[in-house]
Amino acid sequence: MSPLVITGIIIGVVILLFILIYNGLIGKKNQVENAFASIDTMLKKRYDLIPNLVSAVKTYMTHEKEVLTQITAYRSQAMSGNLSSEEKVELDNKITKTMGGIMVAVENYPDLKSNTNFIQLQRTLNEVEEQISASRRFYNTAVTEYNNAVEMFPSSIIAGMKGMTRKKVFEIPEVERENVKVGDLFNS
Amino acid sequence: MKSEQELEGFYNSKLLPDLEALEVERKAIAKRFWMLLLLFFVLAGAGAAFAGLWEMFEVAIGCGIAAVVMLVVMLIMHHSKKGKFVHKFKNVIVNDIVKFVGPELNYHPKDGINIGAYMQSTIYPRRPDRYVTEDLVTGMYGDTHLAFSEVHSQYKTTTVNHKGQTRTTWHTIFDGVFFIADFNKHFKGRTVVLPDTMEKMFGRLGKFFQKMNFSRPPLVKLEDPEFEKHFAVYGDDQVETRYILSTSLMQRIVDFRSKTSSGVALSFVGSHVYVAIPITKNLFEPNLFKTNINFNLIKEYYYYLWLAIGIVEDLNLNTRIWTKE
Repeated sequence: MSPLVITGIIIGVVILLFILIYNGLIGKKNQVENAFASIDTMLKKRYDLIPNLVSAVKTYMTHEKEVLTQITAYRSQAMSGNLSSEEKVELDNKITKTMGGIMVAVENYPDLKSNTNFIQLQRTLNEVEEQISASRRFYNTAVTEYNNAVEMFPSSIIAGMKGMTRKKVFEIPEVERENVKVGDLFNS
Repeated sequence: MKSEQELEGFYNSKLLPDLEALEVERKAIAKRFWMLLLLFFVLAGAGAAFAGLWEMFEVAIGCGIAAVVMLVVMLIMHHSKKGKFVHKFKNVIVNDIVKFVGPELNYHPKDGINIGAYMQSTIYPRRPDRYVTEDLVTGMYGDTHLAFSEVHSQYKTTTVNHKGQTRTTWHTIFDGVFFIADFNKHFKGRTVVLPDTMEKMFGRLGKFFQKMNFSRPPLVKLEDPEFEKHFAVYGDDQVETRYILSTSLMQRIVDFRSKTSSGVALSFVGSHVYVAIPITKNLFEPNLFKTNINFNLIKEYYYYLWLAIGIVEDLNLNTRIWTKE
């Protein structure tokens, strides 16, 4: 076999490897975007439930009018559409916190707690929360796989050449880790 | 789960009288069996004596034929008596234990999970050539509708050797308790949780083979390292699979595996959860030549029943805080 043929084979193998690794990286990057989109869908579902929640509780919750106005405001802000992903995440955290507060405050209204419509709504909200958490987990797995590919040899070389950098995983925000202090929430 | 004292109280007050009545029947069957066996040996011995000592071959052959005919008749009669006894025993004793565990549950000793439901689970995709099932328990436990039975599924292979003789071999696909319950969340796709044999044997290479398994939906990688160590998960929808397998459910499945068998497999299809627990023992069979008035025997029945019915609590299926009621 002439040296030329050998060189040709080596170059061929290198190109093939390059293509495979590059495609793998792109696949992982798209998976991350796909995962983010799925969080978005679940968040939209929750936005859709906010007006129902507000109308269900407002006749009962006479002392918490402010919180209800606030959550409606958050919702219209989220629905306006022109938000970056970071802003979306931040707003989403605020909504989670406020909704958590409303759900705890419900405890003070036995009539509301036993209202069938409200129970149904609470079930739907629970489900949406569970789905949001599932899609966050999907996003984190996708990001971890992508980050591994970006940082591990040999795909790290190609990632470096193409300017691909680490992405951040979804962290559970500080406010969610703390127990919700209902009193503070309504006094502010 | 009921405490051992409760079970013992139930055993003494409810089961003992029935067990004693059944014991009379059991003894009669066993006695008849031994008597006939003795008669068989007497006839066979007489035949041998006539042939060996007195060289009366006609009489010896007569005795021999009588002995063989008796043996056949005896076995047929014994088999039918045994079947009736086992059925009666199950209908009385096992049925009572089932009712003790869950008053809204019903027991059908001769029925089982049908093959359609078994195939629907997609846990074992291979269509069995032989499918045997018995000891069906079905009904409500709390808010959850459930059904389970013993299932033994097999497939056959035929090989032809160099002489042209065909040989059929039966291979077990699944032997154990097959459980179906209504799951507490709505979902559309399929999620299959299988024991992770590949990754255990081949490490990272095993993961590669799992990914290449085209007979299954795509592999889903989950976050819980302990869960991932024991199971390989396949799902149509990445988000839905995680929605079903919440972090707490993954923990519960790991705990369930450690108390049952390393071969436990689950699937979530069409709004139901399917659980396959491999157990080679034939369950809920009474003794025929040994007394059944034995608390340990009842404890064993209770243990296996609870292993299945308890899945409702192990997997928290009665918690219905989601839209599905």
